[in-house]
Amino acid sequence: MFARPSRRRSSLTLVASSVGAARVGGGERNGNRVRDWSGLMARAQEGDRHAYRALLEDMTPYLRALAARCLKAPGDIEDAVQDVLLTIHAVRHTYDPSRPFGPWLVAIANRRIIDRLRRQIRARSREIELSAEHETFLPDAANVHFEDTSADSATLHAAIAALPPDQRQAVSLLKLKEMSLKEAALASGRSVSALKVATHRAIKSLRKRLRQSSEEP
Amino acid sequence: MTKTTELIDALVASATPVRRLRPPLVRAMLWLAFAGLVLALVTVEHGLRADLMLRLHQPTFAISTAAALATGVLSAIAAFVISLPDRSRWWLVLPMPTLAAWISTIGYGCLTDWVSVGPEGVRFGEELRCFAIFVLTSVPLTLALAVMLRYAAMLRAGAVAMTGSLAIAAITATALSLFHDHDATAIILVWNLGTAALITGIAGLFGRRIFGWIATRMLWSNAHF
Repeated sequence: MFARPSRRRSSLTLVASSVGAARVGGGERNGNRVRDWSGLMARAQEGDRHAYRALLEDMTPYLRALAARCLKAPGDIEDAVQDVLLTIHAVRHTYDPSRPFGPWLVAIANRRIIDRLRRQIRARSREIELSAEHETFLPDAANVHFEDTSADSATLHAAIAALPPDQRQAVSLLKLKEMSLKEAALASGRSVSALKVATHRAIKSLRKRLRQSSEEP
Repeated sequence: MTKTTELIDALVASATPVRRLRPPLVRAMLWLAFAGLVLALVTVEHGLRADLMLRLHQPTFAISTAAALATGVLSAIAAFVISLPDRSRWWLVLPMPTLAAWISTIGYGCLTDWVSVGPEGVRFGEELRCFAIFVLTSVPLTLALAVMLRYAAMLRAGAVAMTGSLAIAAITATALSLFHDHDATAIILVWNLGTAALITGIAGLFGRRIFGWIATRMLWSNAHF
């Protein structure tokens, strides 16, 4: 799609989909308009805002195509184009109108696009993208809850069932249903401190009971 | 996210006239003139070493000093040229021959003069004076170069910082060999190579950040060198 920019030629020919055949550095014919990017930049350096706007708008499709060769996501391509435009704005005084515009533009664009690629590679090395599997198993409906039938679990449930009612209720609300203290207080109608005390006692007696059951043959 | 058209509007709105950079060779010469001024001021302050004329007749010393000075000049030119986005990276090779000559003469001098260091060793006062010359020369040169090449932060930060540091190191080494009248070549070797390695290493690690720091504060102003 693009002729590879060559440093040996004084100007290079670029073919962009939206700007048609464009000659960067020399004159460019696009329909009836004649565009000379080098001349536009020279005028922009002198503060001609119309020339600057024409240059930036003309350049954008070409930069987008340049970025699309290395980047895939449309958002990334647009970010890269904006990076290049910002850099060009910041270093526009480094352009010498007696030299071709193409190599200057392509060098800046490549530098910014490569920087973005490097950042992406660094991010990829420490981030994992969500795959289709992650998304499939995220909703509850996709997760099958098996009955817990292990012996330890049965012992624990028996131990909880044997607790006094207020302690059993505290453990059930705070530990099994994983409510916060406030929610549990609302649900049971008991005070937060009463729930704390009941939970503490329940865990103490559960520990004692489970230790006893594990010591038994 | 800002749309690209909005960004263009914003850029056009802030497009004030800018002063084009002078050709890189002219800018390199300006910096070298500043370096000459710094060396002249250090000469006024410290005075040249007493045995300079005698030493300049020794081929190793003369070649070493000339090579260091040439490395400084050529790497300054290379730094200014490659700081521009459309110039070839091959300019990086420009100071390499003189750098090789400089390093080889220091090494040779070290080997031949090793025995003549003498038993008295190195005096502390001498080292402090040496360090003062090092700081007095390298700090203003570094600041001037960093300001003059601040726009390189967005382009070839690493390469420009390394070449610029080589220029500073070489000129500092030249200053040391002119003012530092200590014949312990091993020390000069450590100073020369150590200075080069230290500045170049720091530049490699922090070049982008240092340029970026200066650039964010000064790039948007219209005062370009």
